Amino acid sequence: MNWATRAGVHIDRAACAWLIRRFIDPAAQFTFVADLAEVPVGATAFDIRGAELSHHGPDCSFETILRRYDLTDPVLWRIAQIVHEADLDDQRYDAPEAPGFDVALRGLSMICADERVLDLTAPLFDGLYEYHRRALLLGRDPA
Amino acid sequence: MSERPVPSWPGDGPGSWVLLCYRVPREPSAPRIAVWRKLKRLGVAQLGDGLAGLPADARTREQLEWIAEEVVEAGGSAGVWLARPASAAQERELAAAMAAARAAEYQTVTAQAAAARQGSEQARAAALRRLRAELRRITRRDYFPPPAREHARAAVEALARAGQGDDAGAVPAARRRP
Repeated sequence: MNWATRAGVHIDRAACAWLIRRFIDPAAQFTFVADLAEVPVGATAFDIRGAELSHHGPDCSFETILRRYDLTDPVLWRIAQIVHEADLDDQRYDAPEAPGFDVALRGLSMICADERVLDLTAPLFDGLYEYHRRALLLGRDPA
Repeated sequence: MSERPVPSWPGDGPGSWVLLCYRVPREPSAPRIAVWRKLKRLGVAQLGDGLAGLPADARTREQLEWIAEEVVEAGGSAGVWLARPASAAQERELAAAMAAARAAEYQTVTAQAAAARQGSEQARAAALRRLRAELRRITRRDYFPPPAREHARAAVEALARAGQGDDAGAVPAARRRP
């Protein structure tokens, strides 16, 4: 399936792309566009103004995708808090990791093309998922 | 540091602004207040009734686009524009007003950091955490950093050193503007 998002990937789009590949569409192909009007026919747009899979009310796109695809995994919702705070910084959640992720993603997008940012951040989100999965099972920070 | 009223141009450079024109229904008030809070957090220049602006860059443009979307979802109307002021003087005035608004916020942090130095070790630690976060939030919406920013940073770092036995904490307090 084809997916399209805005060029100049930051935390929300990188996290959404990871979420889509891992939990929705393992064969996902991503296109990067400047505007909703440039989204190729048949592609599903996300994190672009006017797209269904985008910010809605207080939610960032990652949270919207979790809701639309009925992903209720509490680990994903914990990651959603980090993505939300890194993207919007509105103190809705307590996510001390957020400023670090924000800077890391901003820096990466300065030196890498969008496709490469997705390649580099996928293992990071895999690790974040595993960390919070263990934290949830243990009820404390894993060693 | 530079004492120019407008230190350096952020974003896409001088003359490049992103504007949000918006109209939110008066009732219900919750979405209207949510939009107002978001604009305040972004540190926008309120150019008029229902017209807010920021120096244009990828991030400011994106943030205003999300707010525009929220306004439309709340039953209002909104548009995002890229614009240039007709005169440099008008732009300088705008930047100076934004810098002054941030300076007032930094001065509050400076005063609170100074006051917190009198507290117990526990109270100082709590105040330090809170003020560092507050400083980070202000810095994020500070597009034309005023000198008050360095004073606030110094006051917060002095709070971090307070009670460590040295008198370093007194130095930034002395540098504070009257």
